[in-house]
Amino acid sequence: MSPQKKTIVTIILMMLPVLFFFGTICIGRYYVSLTDIFLTLWQGLTGNSSGISTETTTVILQIRFPRAFQGAMVGAALGASGAAFQSLFRNPLVSSGILGVSAGAGFGAALAIVLFNTVFLTPLFAFIFGILAVILSYFAGKIDNTSTTITLVLGGTIIQSIFSALISLLKYLADTATQLPAITFWLMGSLASTKTADVFLALIPMVLGMAGILTMRYRLNVLSMGDREARTLGINVRANKATIIGLATLATAGAVCISGIVGWIGLIIPHVGRMLVGNDNKWLVPASMSLGACFVIFCDTLCRSITGGEIPLGIVTALIGGPFFIYLLKKTKGRSW
Amino acid sequence: MTLLRLNNLSFGYDPHRLIFENISFAVQPGEVFCIIGPNGCGKTTLIDSILGINPPQQGTIEVGGIHLAKLKPREFAQHIAYVPQSHTKTFPYTVLDIVVMGRTYATQGFGSPDSSQRQQALKSLEQVGLKGFEERLYTELSGGELQLVLIARALTQNARIMVLDEPTAHLDFRHELVVMEIITWLVKEKGLTIVMATHFLNQAFYLENAGVPTRVALMNLGKIEAIGSPSEVITKNNLKNVFKIISTTGTTNEEGIQRKFIVPLKNIR
Repeated sequence: MSPQKKTIVTIILMMLPVLFFFGTICIGRYYVSLTDIFLTLWQGLTGNSSGISTETTTVILQIRFPRAFQGAMVGAALGASGAAFQSLFRNPLVSSGILGVSAGAGFGAALAIVLFNTVFLTPLFAFIFGILAVILSYFAGKIDNTSTTITLVLGGTIIQSIFSALISLLKYLADTATQLPAITFWLMGSLASTKTADVFLALIPMVLGMAGILTMRYRLNVLSMGDREARTLGINVRANKATIIGLATLATAGAVCISGIVGWIGLIIPHVGRMLVGNDNKWLVPASMSLGACFVIFCDTLCRSITGGEIPLGIVTALIGGPFFIYLLKKTKGRSW
Repeated sequence: MTLLRLNNLSFGYDPHRLIFENISFAVQPGEVFCIIGPNGCGKTTLIDSILGINPPQQGTIEVGGIHLAKLKPREFAQHIAYVPQSHTKTFPYTVLDIVVMGRTYATQGFGSPDSSQRQQALKSLEQVGLKGFEERLYTELSGGELQLVLIARALTQNARIMVLDEPTAHLDFRHELVVMEIITWLVKEKGLTIVMATHFLNQAFYLENAGVPTRVALMNLGKIEAIGSPSEVITKNNLKNVFKIISTTGTTNEEGIQRKFIVPLKNIR
């Protein structure tokens, strides 16, 4: 790709999430115009009243703004960790859930719902068990003090299926009137619960994880050459791998806390990124973050505006993402990878 | 002065079943050191030990007087560059993305290569004869071109020693010659020291006849059987003992090129 084209694509990718962000705030059953948004923000910053109704400011600041912001963060986190895991595992079919973080988080959430009958502890349990699952995968795949890529993936697959079985067990034991629907909805993913302020705590691991992946993103190129070549090129493979797994897990587990399990993003967003900016992770990781943010905002807007109720986010990401992926595949003839 | 020295090196994945045992040799600056021997004799495992991937059970490796085990990967990469026997292509990076990875050890902190490092990579590409290839996807190259790209990446490392594991394993006659010409140039013009494992014994004669200081170590069953100049080591007798084959040697003067060669004739088992 020529440098000029790269600059143009980069500028577009930087602008796009901002456009989607303000776009989604305008869309919904309660009418909000772009002017309303800017006047509300102005009012919030300066403290001067700008003649906007309290209803409008409430809708913007309490409902749509947090939801759009957290949607963008979830998308960016899943996009970045998907790109990191694909390079690390040298496999374009890997997604952010490869080491069991989603299955573990799903189990944690189901456990919290069954044990406490409240949604309050659900994100915390999801986060803890998501991290725990990755640690278990890491040790399951560790043989003779080292973990090769293939044994790590194997460890992840094993831990994932154990936690899936445990989720089924909890569903089986759950109260069918209240708990079972709650578990099922959580597993389908949604941004509907982002109104509560405590969910903002989940932004801390996400920001840490994304910042770390961004800092180390060039190393992903080198690590994708395989352990032997990465080592002789001058990288401490074990330390770098463990750090990147830790960072990607923080980002994913934080995202799962907010949104529940949302599939597809960590898998397809890096591929869309590759088609636009190529495979160099220096460009691919930021591109995946931008595209992930846009994609989640877009899908979530559909979730909350297509019908009178809420459609789970995971369903929409798969229904939109799948066909779009096929379209891209045909258009680029699979050449990008 | 010795550049690379192996002292009584032993290694086995299982400590009770050693792949090679008590290997000692010294590689001099500015020579090509060829490791030859039958499949499974331990060549690649030995190379992995030199690369620091298989820490030896016994013995030591020194690079310029420094113990290899004490070097961090970043320091190691400044001394030894490596060209793998085979490379699994996963993502379609551009050729330049691949070659500039040779500067990984010199990038600042967690950063990425800067424009002067890209210039170095472009120069290496030009030196292996791939000028203009920088924006091509490396997944779409032929086997011969890929090998040259990997050599360019190792060259970009600016290390004194280059280790090549069967550098012509998948190449046609012409690309084999191209790689041998580059190796000759690396030693004679760039002053590099080369350690290479190979199955193509005539390559040792090529280098010897091209005026490159060349030595050959013949490995068999985890031990070194013979070490010396190509003419001393690659003999009918040695090949009969180690490879279990009947062979013949000869000399040609075709087109004014004086060259020794060896031809395998018959398996004696």
